[in-house]
Amino acid sequence: MFDIQYGDKGMIVCTGRLDAAQCQKGQVFLDEVMESSTLDFDSLEYISSAGLGILLKTQKRLAQRGAALKIVNVNKHMHDVFRYSGFHAIFDIEAK
Amino acid sequence: MEKAFARSNDSLSAIYEFAQEILATNSVGGAACYSVHLALEELFVNMVKYNPNVSSDIEVNVDVIDDKVKVTLTEYGVPKFDVTAPRDVDIEAPLAERTPGGLGVYLIQNLADSLEYEYVGGRSRVIFTKKTEV
Repeated sequence: MFDIQYGDKGMIVCTGRLDAAQCQKGQVFLDEVMESSTLDFDSLEYISSAGLGILLKTQKRLAQRGAALKIVNVNKHMHDVFRYSGFHAIFDIEAK
Repeated sequence: MEKAFARSNDSLSAIYEFAQEILATNSVGGAACYSVHLALEELFVNMVKYNPNVSSDIEVNVDVIDDKVKVTLTEYGVPKFDVTAPRDVDIEAPLAERTPGGLGVYLIQNLADSLEYEYVGGRSRVIFTKKTEV
């Protein structure tokens, strides 16, 4: 399962697995984000290309407004996926 | 072990569960486990996406043989779709030039220790292997 919501510190907290079956839920939430925001991946276990797609779509939309997503607490495996995808160059990413 | 799954993204959680039982039994974890889950999803979703008019199930095999995990996905009555063919993905392109999509197969090609494709008489089969110790 996957969940996404605002946490106590104003960050967007993602939990579970962001895969092709769950990415619509993430897309609906991120479509409402209109300013620079931080995604907390501390409790996110897994992301696939479907999840990368919604992050990229959101980053492109925010860039047109002069804003950006930052992603923190990324586990080693997801960090490898970001690196293979070249996302380290288009997102501010902090590993766990 | 082999199991057939309905051709829908809703099958993903059952596929992970099927694979995880085999991986856990064989003490496979860490990066190898993540890569196997990613390969299963990307390859399965690809089959669902590109053959929307096919209704037959997709056969999934997950086996741990010596120091490798072997993942095989087989579908029938479909056109050829060679996932080993090079993908035109520019991971160094600036944000404005990046487009969502196309990354799944590219990722699998880069994460696999081997990736094979067989196509015989409408039977399409992808074989992904990953070393258990990464």
